[in-house]
Amino acid sequence: MRSGSSAVEFKEFKGLRGGTHGFLPLFLLLPAVGFVLVMYIYPFVLSLLRSLTDEMGRFSFVNYSKAIALYGRDILFSIEVAVLGTLISTVLSLALASYIRLSNSRVSRLINSLTRIGIFLPYVVVAQMMRSFLAPHGLLNVLLANIGLVDINSPLQLFNIKGLTLGFLWKETPFITFIVLSGLQVIDDTYIEAARSVGARTHHVILRVLIPMIKPTIAIAVVLTFCTIVSTFTLPYMIVAGNPTTVTVDIAHRVTYFGDYRVASALGVFLYLIVGVMAVYYLRRAVREEVYGY
Amino acid sequence: MATKWRRALLEGLLLCFVLFVIFGPISSLVIWSIAIRWYWPHVFPQEIGLAYWKQALGLQRDWAIAAVSIWDAFGTSILVALVATAVVMAMAIPAGYALARFRVPLKALILLLFLMPKAFPQQPIFVNLLPTFTKWGLAGTVQGVILVHILVCLIFGVWITTSAFKAIPQELEEAARSVGATRWRTFWKVLFPLAAPGLLVSTVFVFVTSLTEFTGTFFIGLPFVTTLPMLLYSSSGYNMQFASVIAIVLLIPSLLFMTFVQRVFRPEYMGGIAG
Repeated sequence: MRSGSSAVEFKEFKGLRGGTHGFLPLFLLLPAVGFVLVMYIYPFVLSLLRSLTDEMGRFSFVNYSKAIALYGRDILFSIEVAVLGTLISTVLSLALASYIRLSNSRVSRLINSLTRIGIFLPYVVVAQMMRSFLAPHGLLNVLLANIGLVDINSPLQLFNIKGLTLGFLWKETPFITFIVLSGLQVIDDTYIEAARSVGARTHHVILRVLIPMIKPTIAIAVVLTFCTIVSTFTLPYMIVAGNPTTVTVDIAHRVTYFGDYRVASALGVFLYLIVGVMAVYYLRRAVREEVYGY
Repeated sequence: MATKWRRALLEGLLLCFVLFVIFGPISSLVIWSIAIRWYWPHVFPQEIGLAYWKQALGLQRDWAIAAVSIWDAFGTSILVALVATAVVMAMAIPAGYALARFRVPLKALILLLFLMPKAFPQQPIFVNLLPTFTKWGLAGTVQGVILVHILVCLIFGVWITTSAFKAIPQELEEAARSVGATRWRTFWKVLFPLAAPGLLVSTVFVFVTSLTEFTGTFFIGLPFVTTLPMLLYSSSGYNMQFASVIAIVLLIPSLLFMTFVQRVFRPEYMGGIAG
């Protein structure tokens, strides 16, 4: 009796690593997977189907032609903002993260903890902040007018692509810096010292040693930032005045003013296409790393 | 010596720039929240006071001040966040355990499911849920808002929980199992206490995410469910002071989270991948 039960347990124990466990893992995953299937995949498929259906319920591309005719300019605007925001925040982050990695001063440590603030502030707060800071009579214009950089009678108008990009930079630069810095901190000091000892200047160390070593990490940060900027609704909705605006704002207009879910869905598919290549790259890498470990 | 000074000067300038960029917008919120009158182009308001704060916190009711008490919206936000967090963690802990400790069939597909909502825009999802929710009587209800919050938070819950379990070496569980502890007992007596700090990070992150969620609530909850972010949005158009007060209230949980959790917060929590 005793030996029998311990044999069973031993078999099970061996199973802790390696072997399959029948339905237990699937059972544990069932609630979360089921929820995502019903609440994410189902509406995802619905959005594709709705975008391809006309008001009579027939298969049609009419929603796409409508979306391009009415919002073509805004589709380009969304791409512009995403490219601009991603590019600038990446360059700023690489410079900032390299500085924090290479400098050991108290100032660099302070800057490191200061930049963390942006990562965790929600977009709705950032949007309100930018709305008051960048307004024609907001604090930024007040300060610039008082030091004479801006004409009191024609303050900077920033409720357009400029202010929107600034808002995204404020939020995404800290994010990329955080990810890139975590990659940089794994690099051993000996690489940097070796480069220095053969005469490399600081910018050589950054461009030829540090950045090439963490290219995959940078790629993930860039891709996630691009996807976030394209997907964000709150910031453009609260900051951009009038046209052109982002596709996410158009989707909200289409739904709240016209109750038009079909053109809204077609616009959604344009969003999927904009992030397409980047999103697929991210998903492939993340899945591969988790499943196969490389 | 000269290069040392130049370096200090450059670092000082950089620090000033960073301080301005980060605290400029934040101080704009703070000044607006206490500004009673502020005329262009003066650097400081002509009249300051706590009237909007008092009104928002329900300490006074003055019809001349365009602000309502935020406590109703605060209560809704807390209720939604508490329920959403409890449900998310109840699903994320078993899922994270399975992903961290078992060879799961169809693992790639399941991971894809948990990563897709981060890669692709979620707004079309909310839009396409709305007709279904209307049919089910969930649109414009707190229950409906809780459901979308669970969706938004679940992926973070699963990622952080999975890496919290993965960070604990398996040898301890194997030791417990080898002396006859059941899997159930091993989980609660060995793995769970060891992973508790990571699970706490996950719980708090999910809670703060729900508290500040905007887009899903906008489509599913408006105009009947007013959470704090919705109240901020609806006041932001006409009342800079009141909106600033709410924004500062919403900023506090994120700052607290940052202060207490920053040390243990890892980059893979943000993207589900170490990079």
